[in-house]
Amino acid sequence: MTEQAIENKLTPGWVTRFLPDLLAVVASFVAAGIFIAAMGFNVLDAYETILFTSFRSTNGFIQTLLKFVPLVLLALAFTVPLAAGKFNIGGEGQMIVGAIGAAAVGIVFADLPGVLLLPLVILGGILFGAFWGAIPAWLLYRFNINEILTTVLMNFISFGLIDYVATEIWKDPLAGHPTTVPIGTGGQLPLLVSSPPLHSGLLIALVTAGLIYMYTNRTSAGYELIATGANPRASHVYGINVRRMFLMSLILGGALAGLAGAIEVSGNHHRLIEGLQSNFLILGIIIGLISRGNNLAVPFVAFFIAVLEVGASAMQRTMMIPGEMVFIVEALVLLFVLLSDVVRRR
Amino acid sequence: MAQQPLLKMVGVRKTFGPVVALDNVSLELNKNEIHGFLGGNGAGKTTLMNVLYGLYKPDAGEIYLDGQKIDIRSPKDAIAHGIGMVHQHFLQIENYTVTENIVLGTELQNRPTLKLDEAEKRIADLSERFGLVVDPRAVIENLPMGVRQRVEILKALYRGVRILILDEPTTNLTPQEVDALFESLRVMVNQGLSVVFITHKLREVMSVCDRISVLRNGRNAISLPRSEANEEILVREMVGEGLDVEKSLLFSGEGLGKKTLPVGEKVVLHVENLTVRDENGLPVVNDVSFDVHEQEILGLAGVAGNGQQELAESLLGIRPIAAGRVVINGTDVAQTGTRQLIEQGVTYIPQDRLNDGFLPRASVAQNLILGYHRQPPYSSKNGLLNWPAIYQTARRLIKEYTIKTTGPDEIGANLSGGNIQRVMLARAFSHQARLMIAHNPTRGLDIHSMEFVYTKLLEQKEQGLATLLISEDLDELMLLCNRIAVMYRGQIMGILDRSQFDKYQIGRLMSGVKIND
Repeated sequence: MTEQAIENKLTPGWVTRFLPDLLAVVASFVAAGIFIAAMGFNVLDAYETILFTSFRSTNGFIQTLLKFVPLVLLALAFTVPLAAGKFNIGGEGQMIVGAIGAAAVGIVFADLPGVLLLPLVILGGILFGAFWGAIPAWLLYRFNINEILTTVLMNFISFGLIDYVATEIWKDPLAGHPTTVPIGTGGQLPLLVSSPPLHSGLLIALVTAGLIYMYTNRTSAGYELIATGANPRASHVYGINVRRMFLMSLILGGALAGLAGAIEVSGNHHRLIEGLQSNFLILGIIIGLISRGNNLAVPFVAFFIAVLEVGASAMQRTMMIPGEMVFIVEALVLLFVLLSDVVRRR
Repeated sequence: MAQQPLLKMVGVRKTFGPVVALDNVSLELNKNEIHGFLGGNGAGKTTLMNVLYGLYKPDAGEIYLDGQKIDIRSPKDAIAHGIGMVHQHFLQIENYTVTENIVLGTELQNRPTLKLDEAEKRIADLSERFGLVVDPRAVIENLPMGVRQRVEILKALYRGVRILILDEPTTNLTPQEVDALFESLRVMVNQGLSVVFITHKLREVMSVCDRISVLRNGRNAISLPRSEANEEILVREMVGEGLDVEKSLLFSGEGLGKKTLPVGEKVVLHVENLTVRDENGLPVVNDVSFDVHEQEILGLAGVAGNGQQELAESLLGIRPIAAGRVVINGTDVAQTGTRQLIEQGVTYIPQDRLNDGFLPRASVAQNLILGYHRQPPYSSKNGLLNWPAIYQTARRLIKEYTIKTTGPDEIGANLSGGNIQRVMLARAFSHQARLMIAHNPTRGLDIHSMEFVYTKLLEQKEQGLATLLISEDLDELMLLCNRIAVMYRGQIMGILDRSQFDKYQIGRLMSGVKIND
């Protein structure tokens, strides 16, 4: 028996499987700890705040869940096209345009009853996001224009668009920040917990993540998506329409980001606010990469990042350590995870 | 008195990760001899020569030249010691002339003017001396494979080598070109050079070599002079135990006899005046017509790059048809997509398995169902994958086709070339098919696996499968095929029945000479 085989016998599968990732997380905390210490702060206190804020109070936990919703959706908006070998860096724009779509429906049809308005608001977000993803997808399909470039550029267009909608079309004159008037109350997502408020977008996100996992790992269409990403030429030779897979995956990515925008409007703000996209795009990409594109891992990694994010704001409030510190930790986690892949290959 | 060998390699060991490619291998090369180096794919022949040429660093072992221990760390060192190598797949600059390709990388006398008259003269001399007919001013891209290989040999001679290593030099040559090459080798040896000739073809070493060494599984099997060798000894040493040489197809010569073989009545594949164009609109397949019947293997011979791949791809709907008709099982398939063709029982073994047939980032199980992933039992009507069925099939195929892997879950990229080829074979042979298009299906396989493929092809033929076997290995085609069509520059030069099989006749067709009758 080889050494490897003995080792496999002694340790359960999941330990060997996740050990490198755990080590990567620990290593990144150690590395970031050096920075925190160098800046003259107490490292242990800082990490205690970062890691446990989410679990010490109901409020902290709900804040974490609220962060989790857009994070998991934007991560999926990145990983689904990634499975086909395409890079969607346009989640931000697709989320914004999805939010615009949701707000537009919510404002124009404000008087409709909730049974009708809520689904329409959500659907509006999904369709607008899908449309925003479809433009780069079509440019790729028709003219072979690199999707990385076009999806990024579409983000910039969306910034102008949300500005126009929030300051010109449905401007709320009382607000100091570019904001629209509220959507109809029927368009608001019902609350799961009323105080502090937790909206039911959480359920939508979880169900969506489950469906995406089903699609990519349990259906023959998902098989084609993965095959395309693994080797487009061979997939083509064996009868898969790879260009259509590229097109569909980018549109689906747009729809997922659009859904995130709709949930922010319908669940969180009840109106369109400039800046609602936060830094979810970057975090979504980080989550997608740490998960290595594995859609089963995405919700767990997204939750972990949400914990860090909530902890970061708390740390900034209570200890005056810049919240950006957490961004450094997140980046380091990613670097160490990628590094552990390289090490494992050796 | 024994003469001191010119070159001696002693106790060479080379490992790649856990794989031992060479284990305590030795080699002695005498002056003025052609030393045949025989072994199946994966036996370690090329690895040993790459060590000698400085491309690989051995884990252990020593090299002696004229009794002096030498250290070779790069091809540059090797050439400095007078050792040159011609690779199986050589790289040349297509739009340079012969002379420019040869002098590339050498010290030039008149760098500013780039006048190559002197070099040209030297090359012409060498070419005449050794019978390697080449026009030094010809542009490489206009030359056939056999001439390009001469250029490669001249490249080594121009650098003044004393020892020439040829790695599978006959792969892309017509039988006539092989004869010419052997004559040149004899001249070289007579003029004081020594040649190491690597091959897996028994008959070639028997016809040209002075001494023959056999390598098996990275170990020395035997080394003996030509006069003491016969085919039977060499075969046994090449394959070792576990293959019944008496019953073996591979070594049976023309095992099925030299007479017309019966075929089924039904025409499964009918190709009529087929033309396929490349990206620039030039015809790569030009007005080609042929039929493949049920229970027939039609061979397609030809030097690589004469339109075979394009033909295969157009039959499978991967490449558009510019003109003509392709009829499979009685229906015109010009507008049928690849997916439907696969569903209708057309299977394909692509020659470029890494690019055209394999998913490196997907698992072995996923690879084994590529193309069949929408069919039962792998997929239900509503599009859900049936993983238990997929894994069950994968486990069965891994066993049946002896694919070396940790299991269905293993990532494809971890598999070796020979095992990837087994995945291709398992996928093609294990699904119900009526027409198989196989392009170089035995490339890179060891002897046992080649035997397995041949058995499988004949077995499936008996069951009614129509096969189009595209291969650059004439022996393979003459062994298995009912008929052989020969392709040259996109055209079929002729189709020979088994009763008319003749190596040289096929060779003439391969180089574009029509049959005069």
